[in-house]
Amino acid sequence: MVQYQQQLDRTFAALSDPTRRGILERLGRGRATVSELAEPFGISLTGLKKHVQVLEEADLVHTEKVGRTRWCSLGPQDLAEIQRWISGYRLMLDERLDRLGELLERTEGERT
Amino acid sequence: MTQEQAQTHVAAEGEREIVTERVFDAPHERVFQAFVDPELIVQWWGRRVDTTTIDKMDVREGGEWRFVTDAPDGQHAFRGVYRAIRPPEFLEQTFEWEGMRGHIVVESATFEDLGGRTKVTTRSLFHTGEERDGMLASGMETGASESYERLDELLASGTDD
Repeated sequence: MVQYQQQLDRTFAALSDPTRRGILERLGRGRATVSELAEPFGISLTGLKKHVQVLEEADLVHTEKVGRTRWCSLGPQDLAEIQRWISGYRLMLDERLDRLGELLERTEGERT
Repeated sequence: MTQEQAQTHVAAEGEREIVTERVFDAPHERVFQAFVDPELIVQWWGRRVDTTTIDKMDVREGGEWRFVTDAPDGQHAFRGVYRAIRPPEFLEQTFEWEGMRGHIVVESATFEDLGGRTKVTTRSLFHTGEERDGMLASGMETGASESYERLDELLASGTDD
């Protein structure tokens, strides 16, 4: 359980950065080299490698060196659960008050 | 259909909290009622895709609640305990998704009487700062679009079964 918590903390820390989320999003469409990843974010290769390392430590990304090229792909950590938790709660936060407003409008006059 | 009365304002507070504010065009007793009446709460609680069923809703301090939602991404259960109930001004409860046990959010709502209208301020205190940051980021940079994209994916994947 403690180990599971630590894993989650690492995952959340890794996900708290927009560039790292962007990397995951990109890798969701297929594997890429470090330089391919660095290009759209406009950051240095060194900077990108640091992000990849954080993601790799959280098992979110897997890297493999083939010849002189380092390929990155999505790692073994299943993001689905955490993403569902984060995006689900956030969506609820955004939507439920809208829905409450609609309910109050709909039921106006029905109740005192 | 009608134009939005007010947008929900979402902001970070401290290291682990998200605060939302919204003004409703209804007296605060009525707004408070929508939070504690089972018949009303199922009509707005959760995401738009959710159909909420109440398993347990014991609205008193220390009382438990458990809601089950049906959505294209499956059935989910949520539970918590009412911690403070002061009608019609304040409500506080814990929130936990059973799919992510131990990550308890403390949620509160303050109902401020604006003379026929009501300002509702909700606070969500997360388990960790990382969790809060992830939560905030998922809405702030990409707007709701990221969530909606995710939702589209869920809806699309749900059509297979």
